[in-house]
Amino acid sequence: MPNPRKPDGSVVTTCAYCGVGCGFKAETIRGEIVRMIPWKEGKANHGHACVKGRFAFDYWRHADRVKKPLIRASIAEPWREVTWDHAITHAAAELKRIQAKHGRGSAGAVSSSRCTNEEIYLMQKFARVALRNNNIDNCSRICHSPTQFGLSATLGAGAACQHFDSILQADVILVVGANPTEGHPVFGSLLKRRVRQGASLLVIDPRRTETAESAHCRADVHLALRPGTNVAVLDSLAHVIVTENLHAAKFIAERCHPAEFEQWRALVGDPRYAPEVVGPEAGVDPAEIRRAARIYANGPNSTIYYGLGVTEHSQGSTGVMCLGNLALSCGMLGREGVGVNPLRGQGNVQGGSCLGSWPHMFTGYRFVTDAAVRATFEQDWKLELDPEPGLRLPNMFDAAVAGTFKAIYIQGEDPVQSDPNQNHIVAAMKAMECVIVQDLFLNETAKYAHVFLPGSSSLEKNGTFTNAERRVSMVRKVVPPLAGLEDWEITVRLTNAMGYPLHYDHPAQILDEIARLSPAYQGMSFALIERCGSVQWPCNPQAPEGTEVLHTKTFPRGKANFMLTGYVPTSERTDERFPLLLTTGRILSQYNVGTQTRRTGNVAWYGEDVLDVHRTDADARGIQDGDFVTVTSRYGETRLRARISDKVNPGVVYTTFHFAQSNANAVTSDLNDWATNCPEYKVTAVELVKVPTGKPASSRTPASVRA
Amino acid sequence: MWSELRNLREGVDLGTPPRDGAAVSLTVDGKPVTAPAGSSVMVAAALARCPVPKLCATDTLEAFGSCRMCLVEIQGRKGFPAACTTLVEPGMVVTTQTARLQELRKGVLELYLSDFPAGDVPGGWSELHETMQQTGVTTHPYVAGENHLQAAVDASNPYFLFDPAKCIVCSRCVRACEDIQGTFALTIEGRGFQSKVVASQGECFLDSECVSCGACVQACPTHSLVEKSLFEGGEYRAQSPQA
Repeated sequence: MPNPRKPDGSVVTTCAYCGVGCGFKAETIRGEIVRMIPWKEGKANHGHACVKGRFAFDYWRHADRVKKPLIRASIAEPWREVTWDHAITHAAAELKRIQAKHGRGSAGAVSSSRCTNEEIYLMQKFARVALRNNNIDNCSRICHSPTQFGLSATLGAGAACQHFDSILQADVILVVGANPTEGHPVFGSLLKRRVRQGASLLVIDPRRTETAESAHCRADVHLALRPGTNVAVLDSLAHVIVTENLHAAKFIAERCHPAEFEQWRALVGDPRYAPEVVGPEAGVDPAEIRRAARIYANGPNSTIYYGLGVTEHSQGSTGVMCLGNLALSCGMLGREGVGVNPLRGQGNVQGGSCLGSWPHMFTGYRFVTDAAVRATFEQDWKLELDPEPGLRLPNMFDAAVAGTFKAIYIQGEDPVQSDPNQNHIVAAMKAMECVIVQDLFLNETAKYAHVFLPGSSSLEKNGTFTNAERRVSMVRKVVPPLAGLEDWEITVRLTNAMGYPLHYDHPAQILDEIARLSPAYQGMSFALIERCGSVQWPCNPQAPEGTEVLHTKTFPRGKANFMLTGYVPTSERTDERFPLLLTTGRILSQYNVGTQTRRTGNVAWYGEDVLDVHRTDADARGIQDGDFVTVTSRYGETRLRARISDKVNPGVVYTTFHFAQSNANAVTSDLNDWATNCPEYKVTAVELVKVPTGKPASSRTPASVRA
Repeated sequence: MWSELRNLREGVDLGTPPRDGAAVSLTVDGKPVTAPAGSSVMVAAALARCPVPKLCATDTLEAFGSCRMCLVEIQGRKGFPAACTTLVEPGMVVTTQTARLQELRKGVLELYLSDFPAGDVPGGWSELHETMQQTGVTTHPYVAGENHLQAAVDASNPYFLFDPAKCIVCSRCVRACEDIQGTFALTIEGRGFQSKVVASQGECFLDSECVSCGACVQACPTHSLVEKSLFEGGEYRAQSPQA
């Protein structure tokens, strides 16, 4: 091979894929991006990368990118290219018309964790000052909303306790419902490094994931529980801790409310949570539950990392609280190498959570119903704000189907593919009079849109991302936006067209406004982040360069809270018609709904979603490896290629949701977390039927099944 | 703590990982310098701005001591210790540039060049090319013999290729795959002249256990492993996903 061309330019920025938030140098030749090199000074990745961030960036200039705004009168019509001014004026007129006709509450907005902090902040500001309601939600509703709720309830802050490097101080690593080597690969490498150095690894996951069992990473204890039994198993771990007196009495006395601890001890100490009772129900060996609990309690430094396998359940928030309780009971908080740490799916889920894109909360998790908080925003924004909480994302769709919710502005999200019970979402989309989608591509949701505003990728704009360890890093423009505007500029224009004057010269001014109005971001500025490379919130006069480890001396509320976490099984149960449990997850080479990674060379590794089926279940249905099967649930059906796998236990099947055509969410239920409405993606009762060879693909809702 | 990760600096390659031990004072080429205990002589030389030529060493990986480019002289020690595998000691007096050392390095580099595509010596910008510039060695005196110049390029990965003709078997890719990524997909197969980098059981990169994290490409000092996108028209152009 000849010598390669040498890049002549480079811009340091932050990867927009998963919540690790790796620093990258985007290298260019004559302005064209030619490669992404992991940034050695990136504090989340220290010069390492994965196949997505390192190589799968060419989606940004894919032929499918939309470069001009599009409008149409109805979804039956073809799209019409228009100017930005035309599209913005039209969208604003439609929103105003609909609100005038159907009421102020008939419109809402959804922000995206793929967008910058500044853009997320502007979306909630748009809802509050332009739509004049609180109908604003973000996609963490469907992934980590239970984290925010559950960790706030126990520890007082809905965010990771530690920085990633802290795992190198851990003696025991408990991974629950997450597969870092696939979902958060750069952190996964750090975890494996620590395991090679001798740390004990405990994994709670229905599948034999690479983290749990592979040639170079093997859990000391793997509790391969039945999907849906998280809370029972976590309570059972707690049972062992309190009944064998493994708890940290001194820590509990000093840092918690002793009376709450006693109540909690009485609950989890109840014989119904004994491993010998829970084990058979969850499908795990009671002795292994005891062993895991003892290893965790023994530490000395035990840390917890968890993912959507904890949150996406009808008891998702309870599961998160279980983890908070567990760490509190053993004193595993407030220093390096311990803590409770969510692994966030999208690059800016933590930012999405922090910046007020909630129907009930402003930035910094402060309630819209709180008059004093509201007054701060009213003063800054010079406008009276709606004191009533708005609609949550699933409620917006429910209201659309019911006919009271008529318009939505969706930025960088694809609910038709990503949200549960797809048939319901499609019905909601069809029922609305104005669906405004802002995205890179005409995604599945755009099929039901009336206005399409072409957005910009993270390589085409300036701003900041907040990763899973609360680290705020710079996103820098490497190339100009293909469609002409950065996403924040689009929202600014739409806000102005709605009649609320808004002007920023640069996203730095938006971050200044966020800092002015949000305690955790108080000290943040582009200048500070430029100087420090990245800054972890809380950042304030007490911590001028940010905070690595939370809860070192006190908790945000002073003392932490033990929450009562009784196990309530999900109503999604197997029966004779639907005898298998479907659970869902991710694969290394693909990202989320795949709009980006499906348009890169990553399809070389994973070109379609497949369904992992245990040999026993496959044999019983005459299914061979590679056969197509129809997957039917109480909610719908879809078709997937089966793969015989020993990664799942008998009775459990597993698939990913990266490809639109596989329609994994045609079968998922609309059951959701009791506290936050986070969907129960991880448990759906299904049946499989082998598709006779030659039958075309289908995905629909059979009336007989729906009834 | 974790200086091996946290004290890495963009645009600087200390050669071996930064440490955080107590300061040790020594002299490199007559310049006094302090380096944390546990640092290699290579790090001390870099801190003293007397960088020692290197090929198999980089500061994201532990020292390996295979390429023999970083030989130095240390007062009171016999022979020519490798700067990468020798740790600093108080009062150490290190010399990195002597006629004898230059001769030794020239010999090593000439051997590497004897099995490297001569046409690619000019115009390159890999670490090997930088080392050639640093030492002034760009040719070799050997007649054509057995070599790897015709070895097949593995272009199976969508994003990078492996050209064994440019490989000097320094093992940086193998160690990056093990120590940084933790996948252990690569190994050196064979002994002596037969040694070669292989993925898994001699499969192509795409079919191997390789997870395409790029750590090996990043670690490669010769552009033997290199991004396809750096070649004109070499970018992967994906088709539209099916509707």
